[in-house]
Amino acid sequence: MIIATERARRPDQFVGKLKDQEDQSVCPFCEGREAGTPPEIYAIRPRSSTRNGTGWDLRVVPSISPFLRVEGDLERRGNGIYDVMNGLGAHEVVVETNQHIANMADLSEEQITKVLNCYSDRIVDLERDTRLKYVLVFKNYGQGSGSTGIKHARSQLIATPVNPKRVKEELAGARLYYEYHERCVFCDLIQQELAQKERVILDFNGFVAVSPFASRFPFETWILPKQHCCDYTCMDAESRKNLSRVLKAVLLKLKIGLNDPDYNYVIHTAPFRRQKVGYWKTIDHDYHWHIEIMPRLTKMAGFEWGTGFYICPLPPEDTAKFLREVQI
Amino acid sequence: MGELRRDPVVGRWVIVDIENPKKPADFGYEQYIPQGGLCPFCYGNEFMTPPEINCFRDPGTGANTPGWQVRVVANKFPALQIEGDLDRRGLGIYDMSNGVGAHEVLIESPYHNKDIPELLEQEIQAYLKMCCLRAADLKKDSRFKYIMIFRNYGSAAGASLEHPHTQLVALPMVPKNPLEEIHGSRDYYNYRERCIFCDIIRQEIQDKTRVILENKYFISFCPFVSRFPFEIMIMPKQHSGYFCQMSEDEISALAQILKDTLAKLKKVFENLSYNYIIHSAPINGEADVEYYHWHIEIMPKLTQVAGFEWGTGFYLDSTSPELAAQYLKAVKD
Repeated sequence: MIIATERARRPDQFVGKLKDQEDQSVCPFCEGREAGTPPEIYAIRPRSSTRNGTGWDLRVVPSISPFLRVEGDLERRGNGIYDVMNGLGAHEVVVETNQHIANMADLSEEQITKVLNCYSDRIVDLERDTRLKYVLVFKNYGQGSGSTGIKHARSQLIATPVNPKRVKEELAGARLYYEYHERCVFCDLIQQELAQKERVILDFNGFVAVSPFASRFPFETWILPKQHCCDYTCMDAESRKNLSRVLKAVLLKLKIGLNDPDYNYVIHTAPFRRQKVGYWKTIDHDYHWHIEIMPRLTKMAGFEWGTGFYICPLPPEDTAKFLREVQI
Repeated sequence: MGELRRDPVVGRWVIVDIENPKKPADFGYEQYIPQGGLCPFCYGNEFMTPPEINCFRDPGTGANTPGWQVRVVANKFPALQIEGDLDRRGLGIYDMSNGVGAHEVLIESPYHNKDIPELLEQEIQAYLKMCCLRAADLKKDSRFKYIMIFRNYGSAAGASLEHPHTQLVALPMVPKNPLEEIHGSRDYYNYRERCIFCDIIRQEIQDKTRVILENKYFISFCPFVSRFPFEIMIMPKQHSGYFCQMSEDEISALAQILKDTLAKLKKVFENLSYNYIIHSAPINGEADVEYYHWHIEIMPKLTQVAGFEWGTGFYLDSTSPELAAQYLKAVKD
């Protein structure tokens, strides 16, 4: 990462314009339009209500245009020098609320807790399918983030039959650090950030939100649990409540401070750890789950694509200070 | 159902939608329409840029005045700086280094509104020749291990100035992405004793379905493992590690295929923004050239990279390279 100190800009130069309003009468994710989505996989709804009917609080449905599907076999095969397999996996959409609210920042803490619980339930369920190796939980908010135009808060889960490249790299990096230091790199990172303070945005009930030292994008924010665990699903109910508070606070600070920017977040958690020959024994110790939030304020250009280096136009110390000072 | 395809060089998995691939009309992309205005790269404004490093200009015209065809200047807002030694240091668990390197801007032509397809072939030849000259010159500095030439065209591609230009950076280390390609192609070479890119070219010529254009020295095609819709590769058919070692004939052939390929792309997608990157072998002893093969990667800005791609390095291509090649081939000149 390159932090451009000489061409650095001020935090307030990233404040954007407010989003346009849209026609919500066509939203397929609102209560009463359940017929517009494929049948639900999971829902939080009272016993008195019926599946795919109204009265729900949160719903998970398969994606209307899935890239991966649960049916069929992988059929790994070669095509000349290329390797190919079928698109087996799962692609689900978490409809976070029955109200037409766009930004997760505007949901109540209780509602966000339900979303966080749902992630956990879905990951545990998908793990039972032994063909799958990883579940990626992420959110695209706003059109600059790759989302479609529908402004109804939702996140996505994609379960893949292979471990994705960037996940493998992160795990390998954490493992290398552990082999050398016999400590978790993320635990060390949290300790150093709390000692230095200048990049900390929030420190609350077991969670820290920081602007990472090597930020790739301006206002990139990570939320890490102080308690070491490699797996998102290991959190207890109390922790999820605390995470919900921190997540809402960070998203609100971004929304208020930067005028509702587009953003992505991704939950980084360990792959499924099924016992088999060559099982990675130290992963429980060397990896540490966390959430990475990336506001979409700049565009990737040729330099970033070509090198894998990122030019960050703003030092993380400045963005952390800016976000600390945003009143919510 | 989508199909998972693995990049033979870097091992990245990509999901390609072969069931319902998107057609060109399905993409709602950000249109790029130049606005004009005061431009530091136009004739008469040479004083607005740092002094020229190299230039092709009419005889009798002075440095930093009009009368040039291609002009190279230092980047006014460099991400890296050429002076000083590399100073690597630690801060707790973090590693830091100062940004030593060169960052140059190549103004491709005096025309504010002419993209490569609108230039004459000889103008493109001069531009490519200048790219080669600058790369060959920077290669002499032993502090540099990698030279990257790239171009951002249009606002969606991250271009901050309208006047078409190419950038060149020389770096004191081989960055992550080229390093992955180098490791991948080295492993393949150690196993098969052949260059993987030469094998790719052979298979693409045989399969034909993804080839867009071909001339004596070059081939342009939509890669089997495309990360983005309508991604394009241009490769020299003869094995060569360095872009800057092209002969005169090869430069002419590249000018032709680059112009024609981009013209086709911009006929399918009007007012398109795109990036291209020239991938060339590392310099000053960082890699052997028998297993690396230089090439140009063109990335149209039709979609936004979403959270899924960022988080995993796993890309979703909503069209298939076979369909993309079919559309590009069908464009009439």
